[in-house]
Amino acid sequence: MDASLLAALGFLDCIVFQRLSPNEFEVLYKAGNWLDELLPETVGSKIFSFEHNSAYLEDFLIDAENLWLVNKNGRIDSGMWSEQLSNQVIRLEASAVVADKKNYLIVNKLNAKYKQKQETLQIARESLLTADKISAQHDYLHSRLEELLSETERAFPANQPVTQALAQTDLGVAIFDTDLLLLNSNPALRSIFDDTNIKTNLPADKLLLELFRNQYPECERIFSTASSWIGEIFWLNPPLQGKWLKLSIQPIKNDAQEVQNWLFSASDVTQVKYLLKRNEKLTHFDALTNLPNRQYFWQNLEKKIQQNRPFYLLYLDIKQFKRINEIHGHLIGDEVIRELSIRLNNLVNADDMIAKIGGTEFAVILELKHSHAQISSMDQDYAVTFAEKLIGTSCLPFYLSSGLKCEVGLNVGVAAFPKDSSSAEDLMKYADLAVYAAKKKSISSISFYSKELVDASRKRIEMEDALRNALQNQEFELYLQPILNLSNGQIIKAEALIRWHHPDGHMVSPDEFIPLSEQTGLIIPIGKWVIKEACAILKRLTSQGEPIKLSINLSPRQVGDRQLFEFISDTLIESQVNPQQLEIELTEGVLIDNYDRVHFLLAEVRKLGISISIDDFGTGYSSLAYLQKLPIDQLKIDRSFVNEINENSQDSDGAIILAVIAMAHNLKLEVIAEGVETELQRDFLKQHNCNIAQGYLFSRPLPYDEFCELLAAQKAKK
Amino acid sequence: MIQKKICLLGATGVGKTSLVKQYVEGIFSEKYLTSIGVKIDKKQVETENQTVQLMIWDIEGIDRYCGFQAKYLRGASAFIIVTDHTRSQSLVEGLDILKMVKEVADIPGVLAVNKVDLPASWHWSETELAEIKQGFVQFFNTSAKTGDGVEPMFTHIAKVLTA
Ligand SMILES: Nc1nc2c(ncn2[C@@H]2O[C@H](COP(=O)(O)OP(=O)(O)O)[C@@H](O)[C@H]2O)c(=O)[nH]1
Ligand SMILES: [Mg+2]
Repeated sequence: MDASLLAALGFLDCIVFQRLSPNEFEVLYKAGNWLDELLPETVGSKIFSFEHNSAYLEDFLIDAENLWLVNKNGRIDSGMWSEQLSNQVIRLEASAVVADKKNYLIVNKLNAKYKQKQETLQIARESLLTADKISAQHDYLHSRLEELLSETERAFPANQPVTQALAQTDLGVAIFDTDLLLLNSNPALRSIFDDTNIKTNLPADKLLLELFRNQYPECERIFSTASSWIGEIFWLNPPLQGKWLKLSIQPIKNDAQEVQNWLFSASDVTQVKYLLKRNEKLTHFDALTNLPNRQYFWQNLEKKIQQNRPFYLLYLDIKQFKRINEIHGHLIGDEVIRELSIRLNNLVNADDMIAKIGGTEFAVILELKHSHAQISSMDQDYAVTFAEKLIGTSCLPFYLSSGLKCEVGLNVGVAAFPKDSSSAEDLMKYADLAVYAAKKKSISSISFYSKELVDASRKRIEMEDALRNALQNQEFELYLQPILNLSNGQIIKAEALIRWHHPDGHMVSPDEFIPLSEQTGLIIPIGKWVIKEACAILKRLTSQGEPIKLSINLSPRQVGDRQLFEFISDTLIESQVNPQQLEIELTEGVLIDNYDRVHFLLAEVRKLGISISIDDFGTGYSSLAYLQKLPIDQLKIDRSFVNEINENSQDSDGAIILAVIAMAHNLKLEVIAEGVETELQRDFLKQHNCNIAQGYLFSRPLPYDEFCELLAAQKAKK
Repeated sequence: MIQKKICLLGATGVGKTSLVKQYVEGIFSEKYLTSIGVKIDKKQVETENQTVQLMIWDIEGIDRYCGFQAKYLRGASAFIIVTDHTRSQSLVEGLDILKMVKEVADIPGVLAVNKVDLPASWHWSETELAEIKQGFVQFFNTSAKTGDGVEPMFTHIAKVLTA
């Protein structure tokens, strides 16, 4: 090979070998003097074989050999590595190349490139580490305080531990009552805003609230729905440079899930921002995805409004993202966000804008191709089609570099300019409200801002209030639905189902109030009531000589409650009920969302003697392998499958049931069929060895007294 | 003499490079210089049975700028996951990495809790740590700065690998 040509091409510090056979290489070209020291076997003869002087290079030869064996034009790189020579460290990268049926191995010395890459990454990593430290500290202190606040019975401000903790922490803290009046704040908060150069007219707590209000239109929604929030706010304090604060907001609730206090905590992250800023254009771009960030988006939104042409603002929120982080960790989570941002960005027109405006949130400005102030139904279709495309691409599986496959979804909330509002704040607020509505659906969905949405959210608040009172006013009742052994028709246990007698006289269906109580956290006290009441019923039944078993349902949020196990075991002891009479039902979704937690909880609960069944089985995604690992006793076949058995049904309709029955028997689990309504269904089940069932064919859920009558009648028959 | 490949894995800045430097050259530097790619160092260890040459692969920190590369584990006999007890997140990331390693390799792993010359500022409880240690064959408190625990860790690995 012509050395001067290579030199002219810029291959100054490199070596080119040709592979003659698997064990024979020829030196075609070498520049620099490092080869002799690195690979002494090349000294003296043109043809050589490797003698284990560079472990990294020889490891790369395994990959290279695969390429050379195929012998099709192509190239693979080794990635950079370093070698220590007697008086220098050299940075190298090797490439295996096939060109014209010939095999080459090229080793480049890249000290300059290494240094350059190191410099960029150095700053990026330093800022990542600093941010990480500040934020970890912040989160820890914040959650400690939250714990202290909700732990102590004593009302604030007499709460000693909290006052002490506040005085000691470096975290700026303000605690407000439900009207956002200050109850307490600490010296650290004041010192954040303490600048000798500036006179602030407001006290630190007011300033903090005001900054949040002005910079985040979501603010009202957060307060009215008692949501928590984490983000960054900016305090402009001319003539200084301004401060960036990380702010966490958390509602502190009492046992009845009513908000007692609001906990605000702030730490100064200006230094981190400054480091990021040094590291290229990051002030306007999100470091992870390279998309415009919230601040930049905001500026653009205001510009767009000034142009006074109609557009849609779309607020996107990744669905089920927490699950990815929990199961696979943050590195994978980051990779998914990056990949998703590329997909979304590919769908956005050049004239439109997409930005990453929060941890798992994006926003898009979608321009309309006309300039009438009116928005037509065609425009709306256009926005829907676009949003559907975004959702479509988000729902495709992600195949990650580690070989993992993940899936997420996307919720989209939409507000229109100028139809819904002509202020940036309102548009963001409305789009946020819309996405909040979309979030409540279980699948990815689109929701437009509307008056109905606002009404619905008001209705929701009313219902929430009524629900809160329901516990106090004892408006709940447990109904019992018998579960029978099909081989002899005997009642062997019952499922406890909650009913709400609304003060206005009508009975609210659990389908209506359970999801709401799940969202608001009211499920925790309601769930506790159910456990207590079920135990009370068990005790009464036992004392009447009916030592029957009762099953109760646990919701996802309840399972997440750290005190659940303790509560169950305490209640059992207090009510002197034999734990073997209690059964717990969980849906598949709960299992998947909190695998580790649930696994632990179930194992503990089962040690007590309580049995466990999986509800609505077949509707989720549980795999056999997965079920095998869980400590469970039975599967309940979802009613939808039982439903498919009727006069018109084909053989295939029963297939799922048969599969579930077979699977359960394999795993040595009991199977229960739910929703049995006809004799045909009962006979089908019996015929296929599913001997336990519940459903209207046998009995509806009954109030306690009627249930007792049924038991008595059964006894009398015997 | 037998050779054994050991991979050092962990988040950025936990002290992987420093541990190797301390072990192989007996030096430590406060200055942080982020690593790119891989550097391999060798050191001979005498165990009761024989002499082993450890090939220690110091691998670029795994973070959002550099993902986990399974290929670096090829031919490895053991791995060390390094964490920094002044940074809680480094353990979370260490555990993520452990998961990924277990998916591709069935080799013994050691947990190093580094920078023990500094006061701990992570908030893991003893029970949580005890549970985490279950995933490893052994665990060491190390300081690349003072050298505490460094030699014992590598010697232990050499022993395990020649037993
Ligand atoms: N005090 C102390 N600092 C350490 C220790 N180990 C590493 N460091 C420092 O932590 C920073 C990162 O170390 P480095 O070895 O480059 O981490 P790596 O990214 O995991 O290779 C450097 O500034 C080191 O000086 C230790 O044991 N004690
Ligand atoms: Mg390093």
